Amino acid sequence: MEELGLNLPKLIYQIINFVLLMVILYALLYQRVLAMLAERRQRIEQSLKDAEQVKLQLANARRDYDAEIAKARQEAATIVAQAQERARAQEAEIVAQARREAERVRDEARTQAVQEREQLLREAKDQIAELVTLTASRVLDAELKASGHDKLIAESLSALGRRN
Amino acid sequence: MSSRNRNILIVVGAIIAGIAARLLFPMGQPAISVKAEEIFGIPNFTNSMFVLLLVDIFLIVIAFLATRNMQMVPKGLQNFMEWVLEMMFNFFSSINKKWTPAAFPLLATIFLMVLVSNWTGLLPGFGSIGFCHAGESHASLALNIQDPYAGLVPSPFAAAEGESKYLGCQPGESIVELFRAPTADLNLTLALALIAVFAIEYFGFRALGVGYLGKFFNVKGGAVGFIVGIFEFISEIARIPAFMFRLFGNIFAGEVLLIVMIFLLPLALPIPFYIFEVFVGFIQAFIFSVLTIAFIGLATEHHGDDHSHAEGAHH
Amino acid sequence: MDVEAARLLATALAIGLAAIGPGIGIGFLVSGALQAIGRNPEAQGTIVTNMFIGIVFAEALAIFGLVIAFLIGFGVL
Repeated sequence: MEELGLNLPKLIYQIINFVLLMVILYALLYQRVLAMLAERRQRIEQSLKDAEQVKLQLANARRDYDAEIAKARQEAATIVAQAQERARAQEAEIVAQARREAERVRDEARTQAVQEREQLLREAKDQIAELVTLTASRVLDAELKASGHDKLIAESLSALGRRN
Repeated sequence: MSSRNRNILIVVGAIIAGIAARLLFPMGQPAISVKAEEIFGIPNFTNSMFVLLLVDIFLIVIAFLATRNMQMVPKGLQNFMEWVLEMMFNFFSSINKKWTPAAFPLLATIFLMVLVSNWTGLLPGFGSIGFCHAGESHASLALNIQDPYAGLVPSPFAAAEGESKYLGCQPGESIVELFRAPTADLNLTLALALIAVFAIEYFGFRALGVGYLGKFFNVKGGAVGFIVGIFEFISEIARIPAFMFRLFGNIFAGEVLLIVMIFLLPLALPIPFYIFEVFVGFIQAFIFSVLTIAFIGLATEHHGDDHSHAEGAHH
Repeated sequence: MDVEAARLLATALAIGLAAIGPGIGIGFLVSGALQAIGRNPEAQGTIVTNMFIGIVFAEALAIFGLVIAFLIGFGVL
């Protein structure tokens, strides 16, 4: 053993040296570096979690936004539909009113026209009758003696009446 | 000039310079000592212990500087040490996830100390600077190598008649190196092996309690189980010399190899071996810590009970 | 045969014989590892690591032989 350089004091020195070095390095290096690594890992995990949270919130906001937009669009569509409905109803009403008006105007016009014609006819009949009477009186005056003219007068009057 | 031509020129130049240096400066027999030798006249204080102290100081200073001003976003030395430790931690975890946190200080210290110690042996001055002291060295290289360059050309530095033939020590004196790689000392490797095996047994007991002893003193398995237990015990004990000689042998053999290569042809020949020794130094440090955690894994898992029951049922 | 000659022979034999087995073993190991890598290139990292661990076990035998050779050669044994 001595030829190999092995002896007990040196061996004990080596063991103590190693243990001391291990303790010192543990206190100075391993503990701190491992703590730092753990802390960094934790922080990264935290950041990832936060990012996940933010992403979730973003997704939520997005969904809310989409829902809101959809709702608004639907409302708008409803409003437009209602407006169209109302417009159509109004249109129909206006048209109907116009038609009624037109009907009324036409009826009035027609009644007026009929009345006017009747009046005209009446006036004409009166005038004609007057004329005829006048003519007849003149004729009668002139040719009163020729009594056969009564028949002529009656005939012309009935012809007038038929024409009416 | 192409890089290939330049490389050839460098190699040829190194070979010529190496031969010239060997012709001009006569070299003594390479002095290789199996054991670490005492220096400074202090009893039980060897050159490998001296270098080990330097290694300790180096590691502690590095640790201090790296953790002096810790920042969340690391840079410089802190970043480097964090990278090293994290790589180690992840690697040991890949072998044994459960016990790595508890055993990490031991494993990391083994790795760092052995790595730095192995690499110190490659620094200039190791194995060459030393003190002369009277008396033949009891452990210098006994193989009597003939110097192939001796007397080929008259060297202006050759010693006159009656003086020492070599640059270095006088005849009848031998050199004691000032520096020696700490891991090329059996005391250190034996100490590490004892600590590692002790830690393995400690974790075995911690995981399994007194039941851990059942692995060695197997009373349930009958005669076969008893013999298996004895073999387990022997293989457990055999880990100590295996750890010890694996590390010592690799590093010491590397030093001998480099010294012999320098003796044969300086400058050119040792370069590839230096590169190889850097690799070996890393691998040995790595292997020592990896084997420790692997053996801890073997010691802490439940062993034998169900297996031997099944065997007993068969018989 | 004097002691010195026996010592030289023993040194050479110790390392020479000790290197045979590990040489073969490392050959097998690396061959297996390379086949495994060829079959499953993604697992290269793990395979290479385990290959080195295996190589170290095989190589330890040669190292023991080398240590014995040194001990004989340096006259320790």
